[in-house]
Amino acid sequence: MIQRKLTLVMENKPGALARVVGLFHQRGYNIDSLHVDPIEDFEPFRFIEDELGIKFQVGEVSRLTIRTTVGDKLMRQILRQINKLIEVIAVSDDESTYLKGILRNENLL
Amino acid sequence: MKIAGNDILIQSLINEGVEYIFGYPGGAALHIYDSIFNQKEMQHILVRHEQGATHAADGYARATGKPGVVLVTSGPGATNAITGIATAFMDSIPMVVISGQVQSHLIGTDAFQETDMIGVSRPIVKHSFTVDKQENIAQIVKEAFHIATSGRQGPVVIDVPKDLTNPDELFDFNYPEKANIRSYNPPVKPENHQVSRAVDAILNAERPVIYAGGGTISSNASDELRELNELIDFPVTNTLMGLGVYPGTGKRFLGMLGMHGTYQANMAMHNADLIIAVGARFDDRITNTPEKFAPKAKVIHFDVDHSSVSKIIEADIAVFGQVKDSLKAINNHLRSRKDEINKEKLSPWHQQIREWKEKHGLDHELYKNDSDEHAILPQAAVQHIYQESEGKAFVTSDVGQHQMFAAQYYHFDEPRKWINSGGLGTMGFGLPSAMGVKLAYPEEEVICITGEGSIQMCIQELSTCSQYKLPIKIFNINNLALGMVKQWQDMNYDGRHSSISYEDSLPDFVGLAESYGHVGIKITKNSELKEGIAKAFAIKDKLVFVDIYVDPNEHVYPMLVAPNGSLKDMWLGKGEKT
Repeated sequence: MIQRKLTLVMENKPGALARVVGLFHQRGYNIDSLHVDPIEDFEPFRFIEDELGIKFQVGEVSRLTIRTTVGDKLMRQILRQINKLIEVIAVSDDESTYLKGILRNENLL
Repeated sequence: MKIAGNDILIQSLINEGVEYIFGYPGGAALHIYDSIFNQKEMQHILVRHEQGATHAADGYARATGKPGVVLVTSGPGATNAITGIATAFMDSIPMVVISGQVQSHLIGTDAFQETDMIGVSRPIVKHSFTVDKQENIAQIVKEAFHIATSGRQGPVVIDVPKDLTNPDELFDFNYPEKANIRSYNPPVKPENHQVSRAVDAILNAERPVIYAGGGTISSNASDELRELNELIDFPVTNTLMGLGVYPGTGKRFLGMLGMHGTYQANMAMHNADLIIAVGARFDDRITNTPEKFAPKAKVIHFDVDHSSVSKIIEADIAVFGQVKDSLKAINNHLRSRKDEINKEKLSPWHQQIREWKEKHGLDHELYKNDSDEHAILPQAAVQHIYQESEGKAFVTSDVGQHQMFAAQYYHFDEPRKWINSGGLGTMGFGLPSAMGVKLAYPEEEVICITGEGSIQMCIQELSTCSQYKLPIKIFNINNLALGMVKQWQDMNYDGRHSSISYEDSLPDFVGLAESYGHVGIKITKNSELKEGIAKAFAIKDKLVFVDIYVDPNEHVYPMLVAPNGSLKDMWLGKGEKT
């Protein structure tokens, strides 16, 4: 078990953060640390816009960083569960990124 | 045209084609109820408890494939709906639940009948919405129905503060044609390389099993599954949730698998070299100890939900997408390689399965013994119900021994005919879900097979059945105790029967049913069983409550040995193990 970092891009809507945090408790995972703020510089995230054919506006999306200590198999499960949350647009760990239905084998966030 | 928030909500539901809305009024929902009063397209069904509303909507959804719709008020109305929402969530049933909420300016003040419904329901919904302004109501309803009915289906809650349904404030109403949710994109079509890898594995298998679950039914993929089986002639087992997706009387059907699965189904899974999981999720009632599950098998997993694949059992080949599309792709691919299909090589495997079935298969002819020398066997009661209904009825069930007997002995030849709470295991589900089914299919026979424990958890709905004249048939498999708990206590707690009996406090069910205007029939002897059940089916225009007193000491077998057992480790009878 090692500490891993997860990065999420999600809609900045009321209750969205609670869904992510709630998921960890509900599925028995643990959060070591959590950081969230609205995205102001969209440059690093243009590929998401291109991939999903969408356009971000200022104030609409947040970036969330979570550190958690888990094994490989559980990490994969956490990623997939987070990807299922309706308000999450993209999520990655060190090795892979989910852009909703699309899985990439690298950390794009 | 300008209309008020309450009318926007109801008109949106009508635009979604909602026929029935199951609910219970209260303060925060009064504007919405006023709007229901003023329209004729949709019928409101007044239940007697909000749990009944959610189960009725759930039964409607399972039988029709269309989303069930529920309306409850804030506070206790909302919390009473929780068990039904969780039931739908665990079985991936499409449902939209609208809950009233206190006025926006009162939220967070502990106002009368205030509950944080979004917070309370969060872990048991696919998604939820709080209405923030009237202009967004139509869009939210559109999105809620889209989310509930697409991808892996599930319940969606819409929480509506009362002030946003105020009839005095008017807004433009245009129902959107599409829901565009940029952060929601469930997979639809499978990828070609996954399909061809799956086909390779299928063509190479010598001891294969198709293991099909509820996802196959949700995806309406029963025809595609049957086509696949025509092509390759593999044995098929169904989960509790999947019964009917392959014909229960079909030539290659093994019966249900898992905790109370048939001997041949569990043995086939354990010894298989290829398991094709179709819309199934390797629940702990299926795998027994995961480390000991099917040690020689390669696993192909068809699912629409990424997170279900390799969650419990590692899949060697994963095919993501709607199961219907994936099976179509597999079938097309197989047809193009038809000359490589070798059904002959499966003969030893089919022979082995026949031997297992002959050795320890279920006895489906218990009903032929009508001697009064022994008590009524619950299995025989289910067999009689099957015979008398010609295997064609919709059957809802509750939770416990009667549920397992129904699953084992009623053969479902069509999907969506077997309606039960598989994942959450909710006692009280049977009667209200039967109401939903009967409303959807008034001409069809709808049966609820229940027990005297479960039926009392939502028995108030007998009154709803009376109001709406729902002539369902209730068969109460009455063993005078919480049978499944008792079975576990017999097997694991040296027969210490802790809190499983009601002593002499059971109601006279016949008298109770009659007090609601229904017909009651009591059966206590084997020799009365056939005639009593036939009499119930002969009554077409009234609800019939048949109270069948069965052997209180009967156990459900087979039963997997746990903990630490594999699928080949089963109890086959009292004191008899594999």
